[in-house]
Amino acid sequence: MRKILIIILFITLNILTGCWDQQLLVNRTLVNGISVDITEEGKIKSAIRVLNIQSNGGGQFEIQDELVESAGQTSVGLGIELDSKITGEIDASKAHVVIIGEELAKKGIHPFIEFFYRDMDSYMSSKIVISKGKAKEILSMEKDKSPIAFVILQLLNGAEADTVIPKETTFSVWREILDPGKDMVLPYLNRVEGNKIQAAGVALFHNDQYTGTTLSKEKSSLLLSLMNQLEKTNKMALMLEPEGNGRSISFDTINLSRNLEVLVDKDDKIICKIDVKMNVEVGSYPQDFKKGLNIKKLNKDLSDELTKQAKEITNTLLQANCDALGIGRRISSFHPELWKKIDWEDEYKNVHFEPTVKVNIIKTGNVF
Amino acid sequence: MMEKNSSITKFQLFFILLESQIGVGLLSLPNVVQKTAHGDGWISTLIAGGAVQCMLVVYWQLLKRFPTLIYTEITQKILGRFLGRLFNLFIYMNFILVGSLATILFIKIINLWLLPFTPDWIISLLILAACVYLTVSDLTMIARFYVLVSFLILLLLLTSLLNWFSPKEFQYILPIGSSGFKNILIGSKNSLLAMLGFEGLLLIFPFIIQNKKGVLKTISLANIFITLFYTYFIFLTLISFSPDQVAQMREPILNLLRGITYKMVDRVDLIFLSIWIVPMSTSVIAYLFFASKSMNVEKKTFPKVVLLNGFIIFLITLIPHDDAIITLFNNYVSYLSYLVVFIIPTLLLILSFLFNKHESSEST
Repeated sequence: MRKILIIILFITLNILTGCWDQQLLVNRTLVNGISVDITEEGKIKSAIRVLNIQSNGGGQFEIQDELVESAGQTSVGLGIELDSKITGEIDASKAHVVIIGEELAKKGIHPFIEFFYRDMDSYMSSKIVISKGKAKEILSMEKDKSPIAFVILQLLNGAEADTVIPKETTFSVWREILDPGKDMVLPYLNRVEGNKIQAAGVALFHNDQYTGTTLSKEKSSLLLSLMNQLEKTNKMALMLEPEGNGRSISFDTINLSRNLEVLVDKDDKIICKIDVKMNVEVGSYPQDFKKGLNIKKLNKDLSDELTKQAKEITNTLLQANCDALGIGRRISSFHPELWKKIDWEDEYKNVHFEPTVKVNIIKTGNVF
Repeated sequence: MMEKNSSITKFQLFFILLESQIGVGLLSLPNVVQKTAHGDGWISTLIAGGAVQCMLVVYWQLLKRFPTLIYTEITQKILGRFLGRLFNLFIYMNFILVGSLATILFIKIINLWLLPFTPDWIISLLILAACVYLTVSDLTMIARFYVLVSFLILLLLLTSLLNWFSPKEFQYILPIGSSGFKNILIGSKNSLLAMLGFEGLLLIFPFIIQNKKGVLKTISLANIFITLFYTYFIFLTLISFSPDQVAQMREPILNLLRGITYKMVDRVDLIFLSIWIVPMSTSVIAYLFFASKSMNVEKKTFPKVVLLNGFIIFLITLIPHDDAIITLFNNYVSYLSYLVVFIIPTLLLILSFLFNKHESSEST
């Protein structure tokens, strides 16, 4: 009996030792950045930056950065095509950035992120960004000083902390694409002179399609304030026009409160009131340097100017048919009968926005 | 009947119910409920909890009349030898099949998320070997183990708190009640599989050693805890994901954690799932135990019966894990469960009232 037991134990041990699911790092090729574009012929072209890890023995590894490209009629199969071009097995579990070219984004970005949430291995916290021109232009930069994906990642993290661009990952984009009552805005990257990349603002989306309209960096900060988003800081610089003598001021939002109200009148006209209150700290105001700051007047000037800009932004949103403020969701939640009656795709254009921004200077730095 | 190593306290009873009920069903519950109840899915689980509470009262009334008998002995006592045996067959089949279904779903999730290349039968063998090992040791040991691992449920609650830092949209569940009463009820019906396990009370009631007065309070507390626990998770899922997105997901609960990322720790969902293996196993253990107990065997042959049942479940888990087959299997099993969990106990209670049967009354 005892002998039989020991034999059984040995057989069981043999079953246990087989590791079907081990994935050795040396056999994997880690993708850290992905770009997708559309060519003039209408083909989808994808490029990836991969880290190729080679074992030199004795625990030493050699890491190489490569740029691999492939093209196909559709997005499906690009991954398989790319896999056949690189040594080792492709591993997108650390793909930090996905850059989508603006021409392609106009056709819809869903096909390019679907793979990421269907696959169990992939990274859900990749940043999704839209690039001016071809996405590959950005991904292929600074070939020697690689990996570029980390440079882009740092840039995006910095811009997020300054509330210039929204925090958008594969995970949040997935949610927003499938939400009929709200549209998203994605970071817009631009390649500038001197081989540098700049977070140029935000690209406005409708469903999963880029509308072709962007907001500049200054305006995107204000848009995010209207959306009640404030990360670590939100620095803005403004020209105060009225006098025409070009007074300028820069300030930093310390805290923010937003009140968004959606009203429906008797004729089913939708009115959206947005009240934003900002408490700010003056960063720089080099005019009137012999007197102190006239806080009351400055508060009023700033409020007027920002209200004007907010109105411009909401007009842009309406023109682009981008419901970034989630008005549709409000209506479906609080006016369900109206929501069933209207076709939001058409009705959104008729929404009347009444934004007001109220600025309150609470800090003036080292001097009054 | 009252053997020393198969008695439990009321405190342990609470955890036995908890661990039998909470398991693999939770992970996909929001998706199942949301299919019909949409944003009102959280109401569905509350209603389901209410239904379970009603059943628990029925059980309590029935068991009070037969304090030392288990479910399959009561059937024989009330319905007679032949009819009783027939019903016992259904009861046994229910436990084996629900146990198999829980194991199959367990294997499917492990295969999908953690071990995509490991053959299913190996995973099945490993799970069932561990489960049989514990079940053989009888009720007291199982109860102690359940109390011990219940802190993992607490761990899940704590992990879910991490998710509150990601953006939430309360408007997804508004306006409340918009999906209509009927759809909410269908949602409750669909959440049954996740709620199952409380019928185990019928089989472990005689083994409670303290006086039986407070038992109804204990089981009600367990039911309230589980209902609130499920409702909390469904609520969290509904405000975290847009409705169409929940409809797409297989395991929304795991996806809740998938988007969370830190500098040091990533893929919290996989870490969580590795821990969740234990609560998933405890459900399998519970069903294996109930199935074996329902066969009314002698104490001496109990280990052999457990081994046999473990083997039967293993064979059932070898069927192909296609979505279509599983759905079909799930449907048939839930019909059987309605019969065994809801209809038979109610019938028994009514009959025992009509014929005024008690434990002491003579067997027919």
